Amino acid sequence: MGVSETYARGRRFFVEQPLALGVALVGLYMAWFLGEGLITGRILFSDIASWAWDGLMRGLIIGLAGIGLSMTYSILNFANFAHGDYITTGAFGGMAASYLLAGLGDADAGSLLLVGSGRSVYGGALGVGIVTSPLAVVAGMFIAGVATVALALLIDRFVYKPIRDESGITLLITSIGVAFALRYLIVFVFGSDVRGTTAAGQQPTASLLFVDGYVRINAHDVTLLVVSAALMLGVHLLLQRTKLGKAMRAMSDNEDLARITGIPTERVVKSTWIIGGGLTGVAGYMFVLWKGTIGFNDGWLLLLLIFAAVILGGIGSIYGAIAGGIVIGMTASLSIVWIPSEFGRAAAFAVMILILLFKPQGIFSGRSTA
Amino acid sequence: MALLEVRELDAGYGDLQILTDVDMDVAEEEYVTIVGPNGAGKSTVMKSVFGLTTHMGGTVTFAGEDITAAQPEGVIHKGLGYVPQNDNVFAALSVEENLEMGAYILDEMPEAALREVYDRFPILEERKDQKAGTMSGGQQQMLAMGRALMLDPDLLLLDEPSAGLAPDLVDEMFDKVDEINEAGTAILMVEQNAKEALRRCDRGYVLANGENKFVDSGTALLNDQEVRQEFLGG
Repeated sequence: MGVSETYARGRRFFVEQPLALGVALVGLYMAWFLGEGLITGRILFSDIASWAWDGLMRGLIIGLAGIGLSMTYSILNFANFAHGDYITTGAFGGMAASYLLAGLGDADAGSLLLVGSGRSVYGGALGVGIVTSPLAVVAGMFIAGVATVALALLIDRFVYKPIRDESGITLLITSIGVAFALRYLIVFVFGSDVRGTTAAGQQPTASLLFVDGYVRINAHDVTLLVVSAALMLGVHLLLQRTKLGKAMRAMSDNEDLARITGIPTERVVKSTWIIGGGLTGVAGYMFVLWKGTIGFNDGWLLLLLIFAAVILGGIGSIYGAIAGGIVIGMTASLSIVWIPSEFGRAAAFAVMILILLFKPQGIFSGRSTA
Repeated sequence: MALLEVRELDAGYGDLQILTDVDMDVAEEEYVTIVGPNGAGKSTVMKSVFGLTTHMGGTVTFAGEDITAAQPEGVIHKGLGYVPQNDNVFAALSVEENLEMGAYILDEMPEAALREVYDRFPILEERKDQKAGTMSGGQQQMLAMGRALMLDPDLLLLDEPSAGLAPDLVDEMFDKVDEINEAGTAILMVEQNAKEALRRCDRGYVLANGENKFVDSGTALLNDQEVRQEFLGG
């Protein structure tokens, strides 16, 4: 192989792959910046570990909430923009139950059910938390799921079902309308102020020594990890092992064939809303439990990240939603190493665009699983 | 009385009428093929029997029951199986899961029927854990038939089972259809490969422009001068 051929190949690479080249250069710079920071002690190894842990937690929430979105997308073929507000519904529904159980007797039921609207009661004062009031948290999680299932079924029955045969764009715009209506209904009932929900300070925290510092992991981190892992495993088993799960995959694969095979498609759609809605509600509850605050915009703000995760993972695949969620969450958190934290979300979207440029179908492309 | 009786059927899609006054009979355990030029409405007849078209007139009776414009779910329960021409397997599901979906309407997986399908198509048992979408066209066709056989139907509707198959597989496929028919399942088949289909079937219908043109035994149609010239390419 002559010099000229090597030169020509190199030249071709520069001309045809400017993007890959740019990414490689930026990647090299970032690696150098990180390495230099770690060596000079500007960045601590334990900081990196803390940010990664924080990113994993965010990723789990995004992934868990993304499963529901991905499921309804693959079975009903439309992107439900009201999904973010289903998350908020779960958060408020579940927290109302937690407040009521944790604070009954200490405060009037009305204020508790409205999750301390108008600063009437505070979750911190009620001792809401997995260790201080485990029953209230477990019940809250359950109610969050049930409330969101009920909402999802209700909206499907009265809004989406009548227009299911219209084009995807009709459904999409309608779902945006549903999103706004739902959000302001939540504001109307629960108020618009962002407030604290948990007695975060009263939950035990473990400080793990990591190289040059400590990584702090609190009880709500562990709760989130356990609950998400359990639910994700549950969904996996449902889809792979049960007849309903297989029918859901079959319908996502080929709806016409599902119908002529005798699969009751309407019933599968309903089950999809039930399972997807339940997961979404629990995700919303876990989100506000973990971050310790609640606001009417929580789900909406999370929705874009969820879309990013679901698209990144390969829309329609639940494994993609989980993987995409973790990538997006980690990116948003770890970007602090290089850029100010306010740009974390922007970094997450930049990484999404970048990955899609190289793998347009998403990480788990072609594996539509639900 | 025939197992399937189609009488003066008018059907199409939306406002577009494809079939006009189509009559068709399939007796129990009979093997019937529909041949005719492209766009003659052959597939539409099958879809209409299965309740997948817009009904515009006439009746469809199966085993003495009126199933005109019935829903597919209802038709399956009565003993009709249908293998569409394209996209006839769940690509993302394994072979065995595809067969399981074929028996979805039953409360339990019919082990005997599964055994029978595997005995008929040994390749499916060999590949039972493989994703259906990764199999060859011929194997997918076998799987689609296997799926339809899971409920042991009295009548199997096959839409161009040989389409897209390599020539050596076409014969094998026709052999399989013969076997299924010999085991007691009536067949109504649409085939592009008209001569071979007429050679093998009991009776054939020639359809053109959505109307009946000729009905006779397969051999008689093969020997009919007019049918040969107009529809079988001489």
